[in-house]
Amino acid sequence: FRFKDSLAEELQSADLVISHAGAGSCLETLEKGKPLIVVINDKLMDNHQLELAKQLHRDGYVLYCNCSTLVETLQSMNLSALKPFPPGQPEKFASFLDKVFGLQ
Amino acid sequence: TGGHTTEILRLLSCLSESYSPRHYVLADSDKMSEAKIRSFEQKRAETFSESQFSLDRIPRSREVRQSWSSSVVTTMYSILYSLPLTYKRKPDLILCNGPGTCVPVCLSAFLLGLLRIKRTIIVYVESICRVETLSLSGKILYYFSDYFIVQWPDLKKKYPKSVYLGRIV
Repeated sequence: FRFKDSLAEELQSADLVISHAGAGSCLETLEKGKPLIVVINDKLMDNHQLELAKQLHRDGYVLYCNCSTLVETLQSMNLSALKPFPPGQPEKFASFLDKVFGLQ
Repeated sequence: TGGHTTEILRLLSCLSESYSPRHYVLADSDKMSEAKIRSFEQKRAETFSESQFSLDRIPRSREVRQSWSSSVVTTMYSILYSLPLTYKRKPDLILCNGPGTCVPVCLSAFLLGLLRIKRTIIVYVESICRVETLSLSGKILYYFSDYFIVQWPDLKKKYPKSVYLGRIV
């Protein structure tokens, strides 16, 4: 398909996700608890996008490769070594703001 | 825009009704954010019936990869456009997280503060995508915000005046 408003349905039923390094894609997938392989496009060098993918890989949440190493990665991957991704904590932000405004 | 809107709505998700009314400022070219915001506020109104919000649009201050020199001009135009809006709303708090749209709004509020017209607290939360480097908005607003929040420890080391609370979206 071309563009859909939301891939939530597909994500829900997937066993493995292979994605580009976009933050939205990565985070949405990790939050649904799906194993993720991030494929870096070496030619798109605008790459602050890479920062997040690299960090997620360093922390053990995703696998990481480029287009030419994708097949090899798929063949040798160990998905059970991936760590579960803990959710963010907006309540810490709320707490912080409350302190700033003396609302606590 | 897109990811920024999703992130900011998550930031808002745990705030109490003291943070009301909420005035959202969007770029005029942003098509998708309005729907997300209305959906968020609708859900919120189910719990907090007195909930109030509004939406304003301003010209986009900079397109992706727009040149430096033309960016200065378009940003100044956006600041002029934002001034009456910020003056009208006189917010106690401005919360932003990185799209170019937020720079003129914050600078206009900063200006109104200097002129002793309204003192607004400016809180900037850098996007979760920013692990090692700040966005351009972040680099600018690091100097103009009251609280500058980063979500990864490397940034806290590089920008010591920032606040690190871990991942908050």
